[in-house]
Amino acid sequence: MGPRSQLLMTVLAAAAAGLLGGMLWLWPVLARRGVTFVLLRIAMLGALQVSVLGMVFVSVNRTYEFYSSWSDLLGTNRVAGAIVAVGHQGGQPASAQPSSLVTVPGAGTAHRARTARGASGPAQRAGPGAGQVVTVQFSGPVSGIKVRGYVYLPPGYQRVPHPLPVIVVISSQAASRTGLYSAPQVAATATAQMRAGRMAPALITVLPPSVARRSGRGCLDVPGGPQAATFFTQDLPQALAHAYRVATAPSGWAVLGGTGGGYCALQLATAPAGPFGVAVAPPGTYAAPPGSAGSGAGPLVRRQDNLLWRLRYWPQPPVRVLFAGPGRAREFGSLVRPPMTVASARLAAGPMPLAPVLDWVSHALRSPS
Amino acid sequence: MGLTSGVFGWLMVAVAAGSLAAVVWAWPRVARRRLPYLAARLVMVAVSQLLVTAAFLVWLNGYFSFYDSWSQLLGTSQPAQAVSARHAAAGPAKQLVVDGSRPGPLPDAGRPAPLAAPPGGLPRPGPPSSPAVSGRLMQIAITGQRTGLSSGPGYVYLPPQYFQPAYRHTRFPVVLALTGYPGVAGGIVTRLELPSVAASLLAARQIRPTVFVMLSVSPLFPYDTECTDIPAGPQVESFFAQDVTRAVEHAFRVTASPAGWGVVGYSTGGFCATKLAMMYPTRFSAAVSMAGYYQAYGGRFPRDLWGGSVAYRHENSPAWRLRHLPAPPVSVLVTSSRTGERSLPGTLAFLHEIRPPMRGYSLIIPQGGHNFRTWNRELAPSLEWLSRHLS
Repeated sequence: MGPRSQLLMTVLAAAAAGLLGGMLWLWPVLARRGVTFVLLRIAMLGALQVSVLGMVFVSVNRTYEFYSSWSDLLGTNRVAGAIVAVGHQGGQPASAQPSSLVTVPGAGTAHRARTARGASGPAQRAGPGAGQVVTVQFSGPVSGIKVRGYVYLPPGYQRVPHPLPVIVVISSQAASRTGLYSAPQVAATATAQMRAGRMAPALITVLPPSVARRSGRGCLDVPGGPQAATFFTQDLPQALAHAYRVATAPSGWAVLGGTGGGYCALQLATAPAGPFGVAVAPPGTYAAPPGSAGSGAGPLVRRQDNLLWRLRYWPQPPVRVLFAGPGRAREFGSLVRPPMTVASARLAAGPMPLAPVLDWVSHALRSPS
Repeated sequence: MGLTSGVFGWLMVAVAAGSLAAVVWAWPRVARRRLPYLAARLVMVAVSQLLVTAAFLVWLNGYFSFYDSWSQLLGTSQPAQAVSARHAAAGPAKQLVVDGSRPGPLPDAGRPAPLAAPPGGLPRPGPPSSPAVSGRLMQIAITGQRTGLSSGPGYVYLPPQYFQPAYRHTRFPVVLALTGYPGVAGGIVTRLELPSVAASLLAARQIRPTVFVMLSVSPLFPYDTECTDIPAGPQVESFFAQDVTRAVEHAFRVTASPAGWGVVGYSTGGFCATKLAMMYPTRFSAAVSMAGYYQAYGGRFPRDLWGGSVAYRHENSPAWRLRHLPAPPVSVLVTSSRTGERSLPGTLAFLHEIRPPMRGYSLIIPQGGHNFRTWNRELAPSLEWLSRHLS
């Protein structure tokens, strides 16, 4: 008859009923004068109370499954157990290999990323002092996504004394050679601005919005599908942090959405788990992800894909947003409240249209809001 | 008058005792053998029994650290925030506030100070109250910068070394401890006794100096969200993984590296600990799940936690993630009991699905129910394990 048993409950209920009935029946007898009868009354009430409280305790214990036995309840059970490692390497318990127990998340991946860089990285050098663009293969341990991208290291990267801020450029032109948001173009503009002293050294990585098959172009986590948001918010920062000396706080991370990447940039910037403190996108409405798919899986999941909905109903993060390019984002801008801020800029005429955008981003990264 | 305040508890006891005395005193006045008198007896007895039961329930609530306030118990606190996640004040709120009004071993003042240096410990260089000897327990509250959610009252235990000159420049590892549901963070201090167990282990040099952050598993109490980013709703998982970690890194001298962050929880907190580590290996590298479960079941919330998406529900189940997604590079210790714990089969099933780079460890004790006494027994080995897996 344990402290969770139905039998105990039945016994207590029967006792309570019997005591109550007996008390009501014997009431006149116990009503006589004398210390004995007063004590009998107290004993009777006390016995009833004990059985009622017992029932309360057993029912609470049954609901929450607190105590399985009397020794458990009384604390006389002192036998402890030992920690056992569950081995998966040739049946060996993991504790038998102390060195392999130390699993720093992503350490293995970062090494892999470095080797991949060495293997697949036809470094494009544009002369000394111009910085360099490296082709890299990112493989995210959390999302499982593998994607090719580009990393721009500023001139004198090795000599910069502090961790570099990071600009993540997301554009469907990522793989092109001449597009406005292509790696060579962004790199050339950044180098020029840094040389002119209008931009602080920053690491720039260029990626496409669709980082996996079926992932769509919204950089969203698709339930049951590719986890593009997880890639951008967890895998990418970790991979870069392992391979390069970069800033860790959101105030040091910007996302620059180019052609086809504006929704991604604003989506990642307004995500509660987003690592970005600065975001740039072409003006637009951003009420739905590009393409038809979105993150699918039900109206509520789709509702939060509407960035205007996010601005209305979620707290706005401390992110500086810049709309860069022709046109306006009137509705988005009107919904922005502190600590989020919004600004707009035109692209420059001439060979380097992104120059004012990079200047602004660099300034925003230097003075965190 | 607070639900858990001593005044209220004693008032309840006094009222209950008074009602019993009144019944004994008024006994002869309703002793006739007629129906109205019989009814009067029944009412008298029932009222006194109910009052005593109410006093007992108030005591049980305090003992198990379920509910901290009337609004929590009655469900009147912030339901609007829970359903629509609308942010009330958009001002630049402080991320982490140390509430100095209730310092020290809290919230149950009836117990001896749990943070005194253990007997036979190290020589004491300062007065017994010096934080450099016994560490410091502080009450805190964390407001999420990006999710807008609030932790409610929580606690931070800073180890003695935090205040010692030799460690002036050390950034300490952090263990985030989560309650079960329903549960208030004070339960981790008074019932699980985490700060005092940690202080003893530290003094015996069985764990390395670590900062402990203790929070309720449900920032939207009385709702239980199973630490889920609810579609088009409150983002509770992001609150713990991003807002809490950043706020703690900002407020205390702790490491920002995932290698130095662990998470421990019991019951629902165990589920959350496992889930957080598996979904955010870039934030946590080790988790301890005491009597946790491994399948998302839905908690307690006005609507579906997964926005009606079965796929999203799966992604919130640690057991499903193990079978269908890349294994994350984290270490997980699961605890359960051979008898007395219904979660045992699910725990063992989860354990056997673990594959590299994830690492699984188990602590299965012969007997122990779903209660603080069991978890208290498992705590010291769990903290030692965590200390070995954090750097």
